[in-house]
Amino acid sequence: MVAVASHQLAQCISGHAWNVDLTMIAVCTNNEVHIYNASPAPSAVWQRLHVLQKHDQLVSGVDWAPVSNYIVTVSHDRNSYVWKLEENVWQPTLVILRINRAAISVKWSPRENKFAVASGAKSVCVCYYEEDNNWWVSKIIRKKHGSTVTGVAWHPNNVVLLATTSTDCKCRIFSAYIKGVDSRSAATTTFGEIRFGEQLVQLDLALGWAFGVKWSPSGRSLAYVGHDSTIHFIDDVGPSPIAQTLALRDLPLRDVLFLSEKRLVAGGFDCNPMLFASDDTGTWNFVRFLDEGKTPASDVKASTQFSEAFGKFYGQAKRGVAAESPSSAPGTYHNNCITLLNPLAPPGEQEIRKFSTSGMDGKVVIWDMSTISDALARLGM
Amino acid sequence: MANTLRPYLTCIRNTLTAAMSLQNFPCQDVERHNKPEVEFKTNTELLLNPILICRNEAEKCLIETSINSLRISIKVKQADELENILTKKFLRFLAMRAESFQVLRRKPVQGYDISFLITNQHCEEMNKHRLIDFIVRFMEDIDKEISELKLSVNTRGRLVASEYLKQYT
Repeated sequence: MVAVASHQLAQCISGHAWNVDLTMIAVCTNNEVHIYNASPAPSAVWQRLHVLQKHDQLVSGVDWAPVSNYIVTVSHDRNSYVWKLEENVWQPTLVILRINRAAISVKWSPRENKFAVASGAKSVCVCYYEEDNNWWVSKIIRKKHGSTVTGVAWHPNNVVLLATTSTDCKCRIFSAYIKGVDSRSAATTTFGEIRFGEQLVQLDLALGWAFGVKWSPSGRSLAYVGHDSTIHFIDDVGPSPIAQTLALRDLPLRDVLFLSEKRLVAGGFDCNPMLFASDDTGTWNFVRFLDEGKTPASDVKASTQFSEAFGKFYGQAKRGVAAESPSSAPGTYHNNCITLLNPLAPPGEQEIRKFSTSGMDGKVVIWDMSTISDALARLGM
Repeated sequence: MANTLRPYLTCIRNTLTAAMSLQNFPCQDVERHNKPEVEFKTNTELLLNPILICRNEAEKCLIETSINSLRISIKVKQADELENILTKKFLRFLAMRAESFQVLRRKPVQGYDISFLITNQHCEEMNKHRLIDFIVRFMEDIDKEISELKLSVNTRGRLVASEYLKQYT
């Protein structure tokens, strides 16, 4: 059994984040962030400790900094707050985002002196702390994005490289070097020294909206998904990257997570996490679905002479259901789309065994790969 | 032509399973708003290609999707004038009560008899597969309902006419 625990926390969860020692989880539902006393153990009972209420609209993203223990939240009401735990009460600090549309997602940088916010104003805000006024200010990357930015990801080592995905179907890498916050030496990359907001790489691999960009633990590779049910892997990210695209037969994916340099798990509208692995030649392949409850899609019995019609929807989702019987919900842990995957490991860990997923069904499910990894190791992956 | 009904409905079901991959998406044009993009169509990059599934010239189904909403418009078979009137009245009756159906649209899209608007909110509150079942069953039942109505109108007409004419025999 790969899924070890499942917790129904709300009607719909837009994001979640664990603290550094995996004893607490922050879950966003609607306008609030609920902090639970949680644990990835199978039999743990989660208790709600705090409720952070400051946003007027849906809280779309949350991230928990491992060292400083700050929580940053962003919302569709264009605001963002950084929360600090003082005497068992979470105090919000204002963040001046200066965007005029909703914020979609947020991520702390590895050194935690900055965080990046993806917004519907077709821009990315990189925020840093200003001591004098006790608030967080932002520098905005306004260039290049043709549409809403859906996701951001910091390179694990180099605090200057920031990857973004957008609903204009592209994935881009920008420089987020801020003078005064980042040291000069950190500003050197494989691209040479780069000013803030310069686009370094633009990846035009997907035909559908791009989501879920993540870097591999060493930062050598990058992966993101497209709404046309594709997943893209880019190795040797630099001036001449090597890109691979896998077109899948199933519903689109939403988020990915690197378990190691050679393994990746992705989740999406199928409600079932998918495992991908790269072999010795560096070619990525789909391995299996992680949720055993899923029955394999049977062939469509009725004639498929109309199947060209839905081939235009990027040719996916040949769900084999006999027209007579009502289609049953898949027997998976998640009933609705998986929107976020988070590792359950100390930061900087190269091999991740456990991860958690949250979805539109309001559940957080913990997955443990230890049982599988032995089997895969025997297969030589 | 009952043998085209099954493939028609299966095709619609499969298309809907793919199209109903909706997510919450805040409006790009107006701050703090959240609108079904398929209705406004202001940002073309957020819309997917519409699909028209035709069973024959008289019956078709248009499925338009966007990032946070999906619109399904159905044109029901209407063989003669009577069916035309019955369909119009019956579907108008349903559309007027769109609130209780939640996914129904008050006015059908131009050129069609009835339209559904499904948003990400519906997908969160309700089971996606049940929604698809509902729509497919609705399409099956509509034909049956219209036929039944037509039958009862004709029967009633015959009864009334024969009763009336009895006084002259």
